[in-house]
Amino acid sequence: MSTSYHLQVVSLDGLEFEGEVQKILLRTIDGDVEILARHTNYCTAIGMGTAKVTMDDGQERKAACIGGMLSVMNGEVRVLPTTWEWSEDIDVDRAKAAKAKAEEALKNQQLDKETRIRAEAKLYRALVRIGSSGQESKYN
Amino acid sequence: MAGSMKAVKLRIKSVQSTMQITKAMQLVAASKLRKAKERADNSKPYLETMLATLTDIANGNNDFRSIYTKSGNDRWLYVVIAGDRGLAGGYNSNLFKFVEAEIKDKNNVTVLPIGKKSVEFFKHRNVPILTEEYAEVAKVNISDCFQVAKLICGSYGGDGFGHVFLCYTNFVSMLSQVPTSTSLLPLSDLKSENLEKDGKAKDLILYEPDSETVFNEIVPEYLAGILYSSINISYASELAARRTAMEAATDNAEEMIDNLSLYYNRARQASITQEITEIVAGAES
Repeated sequence: MSTSYHLQVVSLDGLEFEGEVQKILLRTIDGDVEILARHTNYCTAIGMGTAKVTMDDGQERKAACIGGMLSVMNGEVRVLPTTWEWSEDIDVDRAKAAKAKAEEALKNQQLDKETRIRAEAKLYRALVRIGSSGQESKYN
Repeated sequence: MAGSMKAVKLRIKSVQSTMQITKAMQLVAASKLRKAKERADNSKPYLETMLATLTDIANGNNDFRSIYTKSGNDRWLYVVIAGDRGLAGGYNSNLFKFVEAEIKDKNNVTVLPIGKKSVEFFKHRNVPILTEEYAEVAKVNISDCFQVAKLICGSYGGDGFGHVFLCYTNFVSMLSQVPTSTSLLPLSDLKSENLEKDGKAKDLILYEPDSETVFNEIVPEYLAGILYSSINISYASELAARRTAMEAATDNAEEMIDNLSLYYNRARQASITQEITEIVAGAES
């Protein structure tokens, strides 16, 4: 019985990953979900969080995964996030700058709802990026 | 003879300056195309995988609680992505011809044009337009796409639109761009046509937490993603079409100049010969 399955990760920036993996863990709108081989047909929306992919050889890779959908169809697993950045590709300094900027914006009490929501989303995205980069201890 | 020579010379000059323009446009389009093609190539997998996945889901879906999965009423919304400028060969007109044929036998059609040419065309045809805010296709970015998606979702369902279609130009290769349309909403429109009606049992899909929440979350992102990638692809198509058109125009101008110069030189030669004959005739007498 095989313990690995075929995973496709396609974001707006192109094909991020395609290959055999053992499992993928990611944060959906309903909490963390881990997909193992031979999962039933499944469909959910992705929230914001760190995704962990365990490769066929047991090696684990992390990525920041934001938005989009996860679908399992007849054993074929597809992850279609809006943003997907492998931990090694994340520009931590940029995320840090974005975090500082968003925090600064949120200090203003007179923000209208729309701007506040945007600033909060920016802050979350920056936090997810920093958290997924594997350097969280440095910045927390 | 001298009069016609002057006219030919002027004509050569005018063709030359036109050629300069077409040549410059060709070079500009070619250099922009390289970048645009890269973006289009990156967008293609997303567009294809997303549509394939949703087709799978539509084929397997028998949960009609979400408004996005039910087939809707008879109001149609067409998102038409065209260019900002002309002089791109048949790029814009091919797409409009294609859209015209699509909407010909539908009564209640509204258009969401993206690109100046698209806005102009549908205004001229008196087709109702949803918004003109996204007139400049080159300036549309990912957050604009999310806004468009929000707008579409807001006006979809209930008394709003029952079907949403997208028309764009697919970038097949540097030399071939084909107008294409794809159904966006409801998801049941995405079903493959040749699906056996009662052959095999439908694959059940587990939605978590439930299908309504999942679709409410997914659909805006799906629309934004599809729009963004098809805009990228259309833009690359536009530049490729313009490059090809301008290349042809430059070649034609070159040919015209060759013919005109030949004619001019012949005329010049003839006038010189005539002068010599006149002088010789004058000396002899």
